[in-house]
Amino acid sequence: MTEACAVPAVDEVDYDVLVVGSGIGGMESALKLGDMGYRVLLVEKEASVGGRMILLSKVFPTLDCASCISTPKMASTIHHPNITALTYSRVDGIRRSADGRFHASVTRKARFVDEDTCTGCQKCETACTVAVPDQFNADLVARRAAHIAFPQAVPKKAVIDRAGSSPCSYACPAGIQAHGYMSLIRSGEYEKAHRLVLEATPLVGTLGRACYAPCEGECTRGSLEGTLPIRRLKRFISDVHDEGGEELGIEVAPPNGRRVAIVGSGPTGLTAAWQLARKGYAVRIHEAAPVPGGFLRLAIPSYRLPVETVERDIDNVRALGVEILTDAPVRDLAALRAEGFDAVLVATGTHRSTSLGVPGEDRLGVLGGTDFLRRVKLDQPVDLAGRRVVVVGGGNVAMDAARTARRLGAASVTVAYRRGRNEMPAHHVEADDAEREGVQFSLQVAPLEVLGDAQGAVSGLRCTRMRLGEPDATGRRRPEPIPGRETVIPCEVVIAAVGMTPEPGAFAGQLTATSLGILGADAVTRQTSLPYVFAAGDAVNGATDITRAVGEGRRAAHMIDRWLTGRTMDGFDDRLPVVDKHLVLARQQAYAFRSPAPDATTLVAAPADFTEVEAPMTETEARAAAGRCLDCAVCSECNECVAACPVDGCIDLHARDQHLEARVGAVVVSTGFKLFPADLKPEYGYGRYRNVITGMQMDRLLAPTRPFNTILRPGDGKVPERIAYVLCTGSRDETVGNPLCSRFCCMYSIKQNQLLMGALPLADITVHYMDIRAPGKRYDEFYEQAKAMGAAYVKGRVAGITETPAGDLVLRYEDIEHGGVIAETEYDLVVLAVGVQPNRDAEELFEVGELSLDEWNFVAEPEEDLNPGATSIPGVFVAGAASGAKDIADSIIHAGAAAAQVAAHLESAKAGLSEIAKVPA
Amino acid sequence: MRTTNRDVREVIREEPVMRSRILAVLADGPLTVPEIAAAIDAPTHEVVLWVMGMRRYGWLAEIKGSPVDGYFQYQRTGRVS
Repeated sequence: MTEACAVPAVDEVDYDVLVVGSGIGGMESALKLGDMGYRVLLVEKEASVGGRMILLSKVFPTLDCASCISTPKMASTIHHPNITALTYSRVDGIRRSADGRFHASVTRKARFVDEDTCTGCQKCETACTVAVPDQFNADLVARRAAHIAFPQAVPKKAVIDRAGSSPCSYACPAGIQAHGYMSLIRSGEYEKAHRLVLEATPLVGTLGRACYAPCEGECTRGSLEGTLPIRRLKRFISDVHDEGGEELGIEVAPPNGRRVAIVGSGPTGLTAAWQLARKGYAVRIHEAAPVPGGFLRLAIPSYRLPVETVERDIDNVRALGVEILTDAPVRDLAALRAEGFDAVLVATGTHRSTSLGVPGEDRLGVLGGTDFLRRVKLDQPVDLAGRRVVVVGGGNVAMDAARTARRLGAASVTVAYRRGRNEMPAHHVEADDAEREGVQFSLQVAPLEVLGDAQGAVSGLRCTRMRLGEPDATGRRRPEPIPGRETVIPCEVVIAAVGMTPEPGAFAGQLTATSLGILGADAVTRQTSLPYVFAAGDAVNGATDITRAVGEGRRAAHMIDRWLTGRTMDGFDDRLPVVDKHLVLARQQAYAFRSPAPDATTLVAAPADFTEVEAPMTETEARAAAGRCLDCAVCSECNECVAACPVDGCIDLHARDQHLEARVGAVVVSTGFKLFPADLKPEYGYGRYRNVITGMQMDRLLAPTRPFNTILRPGDGKVPERIAYVLCTGSRDETVGNPLCSRFCCMYSIKQNQLLMGALPLADITVHYMDIRAPGKRYDEFYEQAKAMGAAYVKGRVAGITETPAGDLVLRYEDIEHGGVIAETEYDLVVLAVGVQPNRDAEELFEVGELSLDEWNFVAEPEEDLNPGATSIPGVFVAGAASGAKDIADSIIHAGAAAAQVAAHLESAKAGLSEIAKVPA
Repeated sequence: MRTTNRDVREVIREEPVMRSRILAVLADGPLTVPEIAAAIDAPTHEVVLWVMGMRRYGWLAEIKGSPVDGYFQYQRTGRVS
């Protein structure tokens, strides 16, 4: 990928302070410092500022709406004149220089949405075809790859979740968004899927049958139970379109007044014509043969690719106004120029069969592989009935020739190939299918002479036995003759399918070419020595395959358009890097088995006609097959968001990450905390029992922007009537390595108790606790209030939870206040009040070991009592829960202290009391 | 019908595939999650994820009012693509 991933220019910026993280602590520090007049760079990894607080239902003990009190602070942060807030960005590293200042490398991740013009309408999200768990709703509901983080997001701008290029799409030489049409098919959007392929090429039905599907070779699902049948799914959408008779639905620019001539109507020429016509060019194709289609129409047998399919695809091109002349060879390129064509594309392919180069090749009964196939496709008589045929070669043309010969009634067909079966260049499916149709293989033999009878007709093929030596430049083992080991294969017909070349000397004196007729053209632009002439496809690359030829046509059209419009000849391939399949698979802990689509090919040992051998997929099969897609890159590039967006150009899938270097005088680390993963307490069944949820999940269920229509249990959508809380899940618990109290779990549980009793007046709430820690102002009163409202508090550890067949949950616990009895009670829903853990991202901001952590891996404050917020690095301060569990009020106080520390640090520098240099104005 | 718990990401990924099946069983009127699950032969916890995803993006809506035997009913909204 020569033009992809260009490194963008790095911007350099100066600020007084860098604040990392925009939770309540980060926002508070940034706002206080901004109010003091310091210029603050705030970097937030999520697409919105606000951290966790904005996701809560209400706050304790006031029961103020979390959104109501968060959003003003979020808006102030974003709009503060002294704060530059970079959301959906990350700090890659911070280093301290000799002058005491800091250099931070920051990446602004591409949103693929223009923040200036996005209106937050969510139409992209509604149209998106990829569903993923919504991390902002604690995985209780789906979001889309295109999404706005949450309804109160600030900025309320969409972001498209793209992890790179999906392996299938990346592998396609034609540049077809395979992942995109998979996601559209599983959504039942077959016409849209068809149009997505049409964005690349008009040859949808052709590729759906005759492509060798490099996409399938890269499908991540292939490492599970089997790849998706991507090619057959393309055929499915082609079939649906053809049966439906709908318009193509493709956007075509108005005529631009320019004309392009294309020489050759194979996949390269047809695709180039399609792309240029869509850009408004008047295109005329010159085809030397009596029918258009090149190799598609004149070589690939109808049992693989019916003529009607190719003709329908060519009709797509004609539908755009492209003129196709047949029996119209071009020898004089200058004449086309003189006729008024602004550019010419030569895409004449490789139609000439390579000769065997052995004596007797001129005997009656020796045919070239492509010549043979062409005659059959043009219904010209080729009498093989009852004759013995030897096909020399091991490529796809050889397989096509052999299987065609079987259908013409040959008594026997033998493929003679100089290497072994594993080294054959033919697609393994073609070779396997040939064998199933009765084709025999004579391997490791090479022709020495075509033998003949007295009338000059072929009577046999004399061959030498071969052995495989060392690998050659292609990696395949080089065949070597075995001296004295000869054999004769009796036959009446020899078909030479050992290679293909362009017509030698076709444009002699006009274009440069090799001795084999391969045309010279720039590897990137496909421009030839004549600036107005471009050459592409097999004519410049040698024989390849359809998808490569299609990709060549797209490239040539792109470059011709760039050249004719006076732009730089670049920008064709800007794919994102391919995603790492191992990372894709690691997104899930387990994968259920999903049956691959069964083979639909019907083969018989003695085929008698050219009926298509592969059956189409049913709609049910297609939906199920596409539904196996793993969404490797998350976004499928189906382009539905682009179509749905009401603002032209707002969504730009070509956007790329931007990097900047920030020089700052101080840093505030406000990276917050992580929640304890509740599945680490397996006795509570989280992850196994669907009606065991976490406190954060309950907060989402209670929030105004909740994922469900009300408080329902996730196991079956039932309104719960008996709800239990298990406090200290993962905190104050040496068994999980966390002896610390998380400080706010008791209080958020009490808050939720009160909210639940308001929302579900008939519900019974029971809290299993060790001791309630309610030390703040009005906290204990809040606790007493919950008890007075009817919540029951049972002192004692919960030993374990089991699930009944109905999805209810049986808690086994100690009831200390009733004599320490071991009791069991059944509930509809259990909430685990999970504790907090340190966010280890903080230490990765700096060189290894530079930022000291405390014994529990929170950011250390060496003088916590007297110098809160100061860390082990002079000029680096910590705010909020990054240094240990704090509730919202304490986080704000701590963030204010950190801001004061920063101010003191910067002012001491200004006063010459410390070493950091003054911030440039 | 599957009885094992599948990864939530895997279940959610199937929402677009299951959408038409769920809309089809709701063609004759609103149903609860267990009723939908029975009709399409899928686990209730997976149906919750699909129904709530479809509700979020406008394919379904709950019948307002009190739940019936603890369950809300969901109906089609008319969104078709």
